[in-house]
Amino acid sequence: MWSDPNMRKYMIGWALFGVALLLLPQFATTGTLRIFIFANFIAIFAMSWDILSGRTGYISFGHPFLIGIAAYTSAMLTYHLETPLYLSIPLGIIATMVGGTLFFLPALRIRGTYFALVTLAFMELMYQLTQVLRPDITGGTRGLSGLPTLLTGALPNYYLSSAVMFVIAICLWLLVRSRLGTALSAISMDEDAVKSSGLDTTKLKLFAFMVSAFVAGVGGTLYVHYLGSIAPRAIFDINFLFTILIAALLGGASTIIGPIMGAFFLTFLLEYLRPIIPGTERYFIYGSIALIVYVLEPKGLHHIIQRIYGALTKRSEA
Amino acid sequence: MKITKLIASAFAVSAVMLASAFMHTAKAADEIVVGFIGSFASDTGKSTLRGAEIAIEELNAKGGVLGGKKIKLVTADTREDVTEGIKAYEYLAETAKADFIISGSIDDVSLGWLPRMVEYKIPTLDTWTSYIGIIDKVVKEYDKYKMYFMNVASDEALATLYIDFGKDVLSKQMGWKSVVILQEDTAFGGAINGLVKDVLAPEAGIEVLDTIVYDVNTVDFAPIFSKAESLKPDFIYTISSVKGQVVASQYVKLQVPLAMTGVNVGTMGHEYWDDTGGAGGGVSSLSPLPSVGFALDDTSKAFVETYKAKYGSSRPVFPHFNGFNAYHGLKQAMAAAEKAGGFKPLDAWVKAMENEDVIIKKDGKMWLRYGFWKPGEIEPRTKREYTHNIKFDITPPFDDGAPSMVVIQWYEDGSSAVVYPPKYATGKFTVPSWVKK
Amino acid sequence: MSQIIIQGLLLSGLYALIAVGFTMIFSVGRVLNLAYGVYIMLGGYVYFQCVQVWHLPKPLGFLIAVGAGVAFAVATYQLLVRRLEGNPVAVEISTLILAVVMQALIVMIYGAASRTMWPLVNGVLRTDGITVPYNILIATIASWFILGGLMWFVHKTHLGRAIMAVSMDRKGAMVSGIDPRRISLITWMISGGLGAIAGVFFATYTQLDPSMWVGPLIIAVAVVVIGGIGSIVGSLIVAHLIGFMETITTSLLAAELRGVFTMLLIIIVLIVAPKGLFGREEL
Repeated sequence: MWSDPNMRKYMIGWALFGVALLLLPQFATTGTLRIFIFANFIAIFAMSWDILSGRTGYISFGHPFLIGIAAYTSAMLTYHLETPLYLSIPLGIIATMVGGTLFFLPALRIRGTYFALVTLAFMELMYQLTQVLRPDITGGTRGLSGLPTLLTGALPNYYLSSAVMFVIAICLWLLVRSRLGTALSAISMDEDAVKSSGLDTTKLKLFAFMVSAFVAGVGGTLYVHYLGSIAPRAIFDINFLFTILIAALLGGASTIIGPIMGAFFLTFLLEYLRPIIPGTERYFIYGSIALIVYVLEPKGLHHIIQRIYGALTKRSEA
Repeated sequence: MKITKLIASAFAVSAVMLASAFMHTAKAADEIVVGFIGSFASDTGKSTLRGAEIAIEELNAKGGVLGGKKIKLVTADTREDVTEGIKAYEYLAETAKADFIISGSIDDVSLGWLPRMVEYKIPTLDTWTSYIGIIDKVVKEYDKYKMYFMNVASDEALATLYIDFGKDVLSKQMGWKSVVILQEDTAFGGAINGLVKDVLAPEAGIEVLDTIVYDVNTVDFAPIFSKAESLKPDFIYTISSVKGQVVASQYVKLQVPLAMTGVNVGTMGHEYWDDTGGAGGGVSSLSPLPSVGFALDDTSKAFVETYKAKYGSSRPVFPHFNGFNAYHGLKQAMAAAEKAGGFKPLDAWVKAMENEDVIIKKDGKMWLRYGFWKPGEIEPRTKREYTHNIKFDITPPFDDGAPSMVVIQWYEDGSSAVVYPPKYATGKFTVPSWVKK
Repeated sequence: MSQIIIQGLLLSGLYALIAVGFTMIFSVGRVLNLAYGVYIMLGGYVYFQCVQVWHLPKPLGFLIAVGAGVAFAVATYQLLVRRLEGNPVAVEISTLILAVVMQALIVMIYGAASRTMWPLVNGVLRTDGITVPYNILIATIASWFILGGLMWFVHKTHLGRAIMAVSMDRKGAMVSGIDPRRISLITWMISGGLGAIAGVFFATYTQLDPSMWVGPLIIAVAVVVIGGIGSIVGSLIVAHLIGFMETITTSLLAAELRGVFTMLLIIIVLIVAPKGLFGREEL
């Protein structure tokens, strides 16, 4: 794989991105950094979605379920038992991976739209259960507030979230480019063909699910200890799901880079609109732009940029 | 071509970053920035916003505050969404550089941004949520949460006074002995339910036959009302904070032959009658004050006149209780800043705010009071602290503050009145015409 | 007992009406139209605007509401679905975005506050300690008529059979000279109309609010998933299953678990019998 002649150029691209992230605080205000932190988290969630759904074609409508398990586990541990973060975060991630296997069971039998619906039902179920079952532990409808945070202030949190996002992005990107990644995307095209070629699709799928759950777990726990509060409406919510899905799909599914672009594009679109149109119209315009871009190019921003760049380089060569 | 796509995307991302670097609203040295956080689309959110707008206009018209500085209002919409609320608070703190934040948030939204308030240490006044859990945080960790004030009586105080209503009216006047509680499945519902069951019932001698907790999105209340009817209680007690109009209007449409009272947030605005299409008569509810049907003092009347002249027919046509709270609260926050020499240092401002006390009289009697419980101060009846909650009084004759709540009644002709406590009553507690007395 | 049966029947009738329009699109196009809830919301709000704001006569308001549902469904099909044909995930995502956009639009026009609709007919019927508002009774009878009419249409008319043919075998239908796009468009129109009708009824049951599209959509999805692809009869049965399950849960078990059982049922059915309880029958 290192013999790939393009590899060096890709690496330069990643390095540039990394340097840009590193230097950004020199130019940006703390308010902008705050927006970047949200964008980083959405990017992590969207990449987690992408490795499961974008790659294997098992569309998950229930990703907040995975993120929520991580966030709630760590939140409840620290809130009630005063578990230190260095323990609660790994435990949260482990809990998510257990939740991921729960997610995985239906995938053994169903796919496509049906799989999407089961995962959605998982999320809805969790939304209702956190409120009905033992609200004294989960915090019920109001959730838990005043959770310990890892770091305080815009700058440290910016560096942390950017670093985590960047590392996850590189790892997933390398994974996707490996033979394993190719096998995973083959599943989305023709699962039976992959099976008949002698590969164990169940193991492959399980692997994708575990990676996705791990990333969701890392993102979810860090997210909740960034926010310092958690509520069912903030996590097991169609709006949250919506943000993750749109970031991944609008950016360009199955590319890892796409979801990052999608997350940044959407988060900034919404925040840039705030001072201009502070009211509900903002969400209308935001949604409309997302809809138009998506309908015009379902392959996403990634593809649009690729095409523009392609056209530009062609002209310059001619 | 593949090579280029990465560079292209890296380029695009950096472009966004560069552009964003220039995004900040400059704050002039000679202005005070007030941030509003709340939902722009809801009547309650708008009430707080407009109350604040009017207060700011009046203060600016008088030449500003803190030696002639003009107040600038920056708004941030939460859409009643928890995460949007956190982003909104960050925006107000970091981009708008707010000196003071006024909030019209609901419970979980306030709890969501609370850690941000602690981090930024910005004086913040909540005018809508009545969640005692937040006040408890101030009581327990004063140093951490001292910049938080809530000028609506907390739900614990609301419920305590409501118990008197149960004793005086439901039990003594109406002679009711048994009740079925219908509770919307929310944290608010659970808290009120606990108080009613544990205190109201034994103290007023009313037996709770059953509690029916129902899902917020319940479509059809017929089975629930049937179940309640079959237990043959003297009345139904509803607790609803999210979809109150559904339960109230189905009660009317089904002509349930039992009286219904309780806590129904849906009934607290002047739009209730139009919103239910006239199908909402005969329902009563507790409400923070000044409520619908409330006899207004001169100060409040003047505020309502200004409000009506300014906003005309734009919804809500009449401010909800939190509109009044925002109007007075914002002026108090500014007055406290005058005394403390600004919003910084925080401790000086907090002390000054704690000492703010506005007593509004009507016909020579204590009518409304905007002040706060001080740290360590114990409310005699519930024997607990309410640090930074509005200074309420839950013992008649209410001469130490306004009561924590009043009971309002909607009549079948679309009018409404306060029916309890007697000092504030403008009408009588009744049951709908289809209910046999 | 009799009360549970009557209340169950009434609620189920409404659920069947809500679900059937959704089922039709799924059976003909094999896509989930997540904007279906918007037709319901639109039906409710347009009726409200006509009758309670402009004070038009109720039947006229009803017709305008249905017209709005049909028009919006046609727009969804022509502008979104057609462009994304052959990519069910893209259709699902874009209709979901559309629903969220429409919710924002409703908030812009009507605010976030909820409104209550006047009943279609006033008064209540009281027998044996059971109270039934005429409004709900009429809504239920109307949905039975509408569903009966739909069955007749699908099985007895030329157009209806063509719809059925496309739902069973798209390519086969094309070979025999049916234009599946035209059929799809007609199905979307019917679905939009049915959704709007269901919306008016649903709103007189509950209330109008900008997030009212979610609840009915979940019911419709549950019915389709549990019933299996595109069977009208299957949908009817499952609508009753869910309706009765809810009534029994609320009146005998615990009312707060209403939604939990529906979700559990979806998960269990999908894992145990992925094709739904009634498999892939004809429409």
